[in-house]
Amino acid sequence: MAMTILAPNSPLSVVEALRGDKTKRPVSDFSSASGLRAQLEDGIYSIMGKASPVSPLVVRSSSLRQSHPTSDIQQASLSLFRGILVTQVLRLLSIGIEVSDPFSEALSAWRCEKSGTEIIRLFNQLDKDQVARLEADVNAHSSTLKRSLGTVNAAWSPRSCVRSSQRFAGGHVLLFDVIDLMVGSTVSELASVALFDVTTSPLNAGAERTMRYHALLQTLKTSVVPLRTSIFSSATSELWTSDVDYELLSRSVDEVLAVLSDMWKYV
Amino acid sequence: MSTLLHRRNTVRNVNELVASAPTTSSQLTNDHRASLSARFRAVNTSTHRRLDAWMVEQAGKPYDPFHWTPQIARRVLGTNALRRINARNDLSISQAVRDELADHLLRSTAGYTQSGSLSYWLSGLSHASLGLVCAEAVTWSTTTYEVLQGLEHPWQLAQSDAYYDVSASRTSLRGRRDIVIKNDDQRVVLRLRAGSPGKSSGPGLRCDLTIDALASPTGTAASRFIGVWPDAGVCLSVDGTMADLRAGARDLVRTAVVQQRGQMLKAA
Repeated sequence: MAMTILAPNSPLSVVEALRGDKTKRPVSDFSSASGLRAQLEDGIYSIMGKASPVSPLVVRSSSLRQSHPTSDIQQASLSLFRGILVTQVLRLLSIGIEVSDPFSEALSAWRCEKSGTEIIRLFNQLDKDQVARLEADVNAHSSTLKRSLGTVNAAWSPRSCVRSSQRFAGGHVLLFDVIDLMVGSTVSELASVALFDVTTSPLNAGAERTMRYHALLQTLKTSVVPLRTSIFSSATSELWTSDVDYELLSRSVDEVLAVLSDMWKYV
Repeated sequence: MSTLLHRRNTVRNVNELVASAPTTSSQLTNDHRASLSARFRAVNTSTHRRLDAWMVEQAGKPYDPFHWTPQIARRVLGTNALRRINARNDLSISQAVRDELADHLLRSTAGYTQSGSLSYWLSGLSHASLGLVCAEAVTWSTTTYEVLQGLEHPWQLAQSDAYYDVSASRTSLRGRRDIVIKNDDQRVVLRLRAGSPGKSSGPGLRCDLTIDALASPTGTAASRFIGVWPDAGVCLSVDGTMADLRAGARDLVRTAVVQQRGQMLKAA
């Protein structure tokens, strides 16, 4: 019978992996952003031409993930709530808050943030069994996250839920993104920004595209190429991390254009 | 002619905008203030009216009653945390935010808070919600700190937002400002905002410029007013010319008129 044993302490925490070897950091790249922007504008023009859609085409990181059609709407909403609550736990952990009861504390923080919104009303409609299942899920995922994350040093400028938005084609194409956790500075001479995303699903090809998309949006927003981008699955405790270079960013541009091309067919 | 400029939010661009600010700026006189007061007086209101750039950008749309949220609290807490860091270099941003939160909670415990104040709201939050407020403030503070680190000219954090009570017209104006940069004799003001700028962000910026000039005892406008949207990586700027000041004042009066019409429709 196969058995998985988890060591009490991970040999390398996620945060250590994110920061990497400080002596091997490249010089900040301030020049790639304009090329990527031009590549995107040209690509969008080749898809849309001079057409002006009534409403803008919106691309988010979720647009780049593999779409798994689900017939169970309730299960889908539970996964959504699980993701939201685990992200809240990450936000609390990132600033050194001790989280002893992940579900209750994440829920309390989320209610404070989104009070009176539609999604809170949806949550309130869950029955007791669903809430119990969600609680068990969130506690398990948070436990994996806490064990793997490590301590985020305050000197690394951690910020959570960092939003980005970029307009292209005169505002007819909008790229949106939210990065769960970001450390490092965009004004240092050496590249130091590391992007971190947490997902409650197992990692797949879609996760790779998401990693690249985070790096692309961060580059377009700040005009500085980040050091690395990573994604962590609290379901499998896997961490994928990749150093960011022009090739990776250019690949993400192609992926965004492919998504836009698909969207444009249905406009 | 509009002096609105649109640039990418990079260290070099922001410094260029500061360095290239006009060397002269306009001054609002008592006549200008009296004229503005007369215009606001002509727009009846049953209650005290409060106007700001956001309302101008929203074309006077009625808004929900104010209540504190982590997103609203982050700017107050984050900016105050930066003041602490300015005074004590050894503080980290998250430590400064925690100290600021602790001060608010202490004030509340000592009974020095009023219902509706930030301290009062914070005192009613759970441990986790306070953590979230702290995380939001740290993110805001860090973003602002990165903008500050790139500035080549001497700067200081604005002591407060600009407030101006228009005489005899039951109207208060509130202008946002975050950083004040002294470039030779000129004053350049930076305003940070979340999200991305829309079509009406230019008029909104002009309103903040006008309110800032009105709130100044001498009536001197900032030579340039720069709006930074870090989320979108964009900055806009307007110069402190008389044309821009007039446009800002006009938009504020128009917003008051739209609000009055909305109230009359509601009453009917």
